[in-house]
Amino acid sequence: MQSANMLLKKFVRSSVLPFAAQHGMKKDLFPVSRTLSLSLCLKQDNSCNPSEKLDLDAWKKVMKSGLQEEVSETVSEHKELSTLAAAREILEMWRLAGRSVPENISEEQLKTFMECPSKSAKKKYLRYLYLKELYKKNDRRKMDEKRERRLETEERDSKTDETRRNSFICLWASCMDRAYSWRVAQSMIFGQPLVFDMSYEKDMSIREVANTVRQIVLSEGCNRRSVDPFHIHFCNFKDDSLYHKEFVKQYREAWGKLLITATDQCYTEVFPKDKLIYLTADSPKVMKTFDHDKIYIIGSMVDKSIKTGVSLARAKRLGLETAALPLEKYLLWNAGAKNLTLDQMMRILLTLKDTGDWKAALEFVPKRKYCGFVSRPVHELKKSLNLINTLKLGKRQEELRKQFTKNYSKKLMQK
Amino acid sequence: MALFFQTSQQGFQTLLWKCRLFWPVSRCQQLFAVSFSIPNREKVSYFSFMTSSNTALPVGSKRTDVFPTKKRSEINSEEKRGWDEETKEVSEEKRHFSSSVGAPKKRLMSQVLSRHKFTNVQPPEKPLEAEEWNRLRESFPSPEIFEEVMFNSMVRCNSPIDVAKSLLTHVAKSNGDIAYNLLVKYLVLCVQQRQTSEICDVYDIMKIRFKILESGAYNLLIRGLSNSDQWRMALTLLEEVKKIMTPSRTNYESCIKAASRHQEMNLAFELYREMLAKDLIPTLDVLQAFFDFSRGMKGAELQKELFGILLYLRENQIYPHKTFMRSIKLWFESIPGGNWRGHLTNIKDSGQCPVCNHQLEDSDLTEEEYNNLRERIIRDVIHGTDTFRKTSPQEFEAFQTFVENRLPFDIVIDGLNVSHIKPRRMQCENLFDAVNCLAKENARLLVLGRKHMLINSSNWKREIMKEMQNKADFFFAENISEDDAFLLYATLRSGKHCKFVTRDFLRDHKACLSNSLTRHLFRKWQRGHQIVFSPSVEGKHINFLPAFRYDCVVQTTGDTWHIPYKDTFEEKYSYQVPRKWLCIQQK
Repeated sequence: MQSANMLLKKFVRSSVLPFAAQHGMKKDLFPVSRTLSLSLCLKQDNSCNPSEKLDLDAWKKVMKSGLQEEVSETVSEHKELSTLAAAREILEMWRLAGRSVPENISEEQLKTFMECPSKSAKKKYLRYLYLKELYKKNDRRKMDEKRERRLETEERDSKTDETRRNSFICLWASCMDRAYSWRVAQSMIFGQPLVFDMSYEKDMSIREVANTVRQIVLSEGCNRRSVDPFHIHFCNFKDDSLYHKEFVKQYREAWGKLLITATDQCYTEVFPKDKLIYLTADSPKVMKTFDHDKIYIIGSMVDKSIKTGVSLARAKRLGLETAALPLEKYLLWNAGAKNLTLDQMMRILLTLKDTGDWKAALEFVPKRKYCGFVSRPVHELKKSLNLINTLKLGKRQEELRKQFTKNYSKKLMQK
Repeated sequence: MALFFQTSQQGFQTLLWKCRLFWPVSRCQQLFAVSFSIPNREKVSYFSFMTSSNTALPVGSKRTDVFPTKKRSEINSEEKRGWDEETKEVSEEKRHFSSSVGAPKKRLMSQVLSRHKFTNVQPPEKPLEAEEWNRLRESFPSPEIFEEVMFNSMVRCNSPIDVAKSLLTHVAKSNGDIAYNLLVKYLVLCVQQRQTSEICDVYDIMKIRFKILESGAYNLLIRGLSNSDQWRMALTLLEEVKKIMTPSRTNYESCIKAASRHQEMNLAFELYREMLAKDLIPTLDVLQAFFDFSRGMKGAELQKELFGILLYLRENQIYPHKTFMRSIKLWFESIPGGNWRGHLTNIKDSGQCPVCNHQLEDSDLTEEEYNNLRERIIRDVIHGTDTFRKTSPQEFEAFQTFVENRLPFDIVIDGLNVSHIKPRRMQCENLFDAVNCLAKENARLLVLGRKHMLINSSNWKREIMKEMQNKADFFFAENISEDDAFLLYATLRSGKHCKFVTRDFLRDHKACLSNSLTRHLFRKWQRGHQIVFSPSVEGKHINFLPAFRYDCVVQTTGDTWHIPYKDTFEEKYSYQVPRKWLCIQQK
């Protein structure tokens, strides 16, 4: 650990500026040199009047002349293209036109692109691929830069070459892994169950399923590293479902060794019904405290197009108790939907389980969604607001109400 | 290598965990009392100092978790910032590695959108020499996108075409080639200034240079050529587009307009039909062009086609805007020997046209349509993907038997919606007033509510509720059920004389319906059966706006046409209908 700190300090101190400057210069130097040579040629005929001299259609000649030979080839090749190749051509043209189109596209992606039902769907899909590519490129660039910097520091370190004494061998990661696994294994026997309901596959698009699985992987990671993990159950989990395929894609060979319980049974068959609580943002009931004897169910669904009431409907159908997080009560909500991602849910539940402190737990709600914590519960605020109003307006409202009931009873008497 | 990273990461986490130094500062700031006197508008600014977390603090304050789930590379560089004492260096680091955790997307976007940043570039007035272009290029902050930015600004300022040419010449001479996107931008400029010969030239060059073109260039070419005397070329281009993709509706629009401008009506209609066959929705401009250019032309065939367009408006419940309406009126009046006369008018509530005393079609559906709509409402709105989403099977069953036993109702009231009519009064009073207003003439009422209305509370007094139940039938749904769907069902079940009362526009229910035909049917039915109300200023009185008696669509009797029109072009909400009409009659 210490060695790493040392390394880092060195990273920071070794400035990156010269390296970057070199690169930048190289880029700029090339065109500059070329344009310089050009301007030299042009200077010679600068003596005459520019407006006469300037041949405005010169570019057409250049374009037509320079490419005549190539053209003859392309024209001869001009035969009926297969649809895939044609699509590839169009994408290439779009890229040249400066649209958000990826440079490289696989056959599979191309097929997906062709199957998009509308023009806007195609555009969105291309944009998604394009951004994905950009992220990848940037990551690769960062990796390369980091490698270079590391090599530099290593060279410098090797010169100093001091042997460090350390009672620990560097096996941190595997040790930690083993410790975590022990904990999770214990939780599999003694821990509180937490159910992921895997029955939403038909409500989602393929991409949403992929996102869902990604979020579950994250939450499983959080759970594994927590002090007192949940015993995770995947219920209604069918083999060879989309979920399953995605999980295998994410976990690869670790999928078989994962310390969770996956079952195709419903949670109502596995657990007693009265202990189950379905967590859903649409629930009319608000969770007050975290109950250690109850079994919470999280619906594994990403709904990009907000599908209200899907999970609530599921809970209603099975006659389960439901609950929503008390977001309104503790947070001044700002914007955004109140459905949180699965990993956020997991972290909130873990924190509640360990501390029971709502404030600490709701730290995991994205900061952009709320303006701040409410120091006093909202209903108290409302009460004082009412008090102020009654002070301001006198006791008008109350009186009005009373008067109405009086009049009303009179009416009844008359009848 | 991997091992090294892992260890360092773990080490850091524990270290961070131990030294409270890196605990986000914002946490402490957030724990302060929120006073309720802040009006909504100012809330954001009031809290803004705690939400801007990724720039203000050198330590990533976004990270409030102990075990972050971020990419390792980012972690390392971020932690590094923590070691740094000087924020200046931090910012430099940020620029070079762009290791922003908070907003990688934003950063990416800025890379993507950087070419749109320079909006203040002024294109030159006159064509420039190559040397001058070079000088400009060098003075420009990011030379690699100089040409693109320059062309964009030329398009924006509508620079003379010669300036653009001089830049193209400069690019061609220095690179020996011109990139496709520059050609397209030049094409935009040409189309903007209607330089037909230039458009043709660019097209020739593009054809030589590229095997196929993309939709943007085709759009421009077709638009540019259809506005010129070379318009037939636009048609050949349209054929070319068809080979590689579905042409857009604007492509068709340009071609149709060009054809009808040159009095080739048959060709124009052929294109129009082709367009409809491809499920493209014609723009109102296209339809208007037909009427504009057939003015004064003779021919039964043509007349039939144009009547067909009017019927298309009827089918799709499209309302023409004022200028389009004027085109229609002028065309009618210009038909040789037709003796058509058009008048602008407002239709009375009774549905009688004041000009020709013709009674407009009433808004009732046929028996078949009623049944169809009811089935659809049950299938799509009430059941949808899951009956439990809006109600439950038992509850719906109970409601159905309830309605069957008490049929027919005259008015169905959305109790909760009505009860909010005057916010300063008790909710049950509002409902009470409404029921009293509607209960005249022995009308049979059904009020839909939710179970919480039965619990005695400050808003729902038990004795008043009891009193109301003598005057109307009540059905209380579960508190988490949707009462609107029940409202629709009960009204439809009672038949065509039954109306319903709510201020809701029912947009979300309309959206549940699966096909557009049913949606139109739904809107038509809604217009004819919804009673909207508003509180009057004084006292208990409530004003009810009666439902439309007549149907608000383009309609004809053979020798008269009645066409509703909008004042402006902008789209009205689907529940609003125009009140102004064009009445056309044959003398």
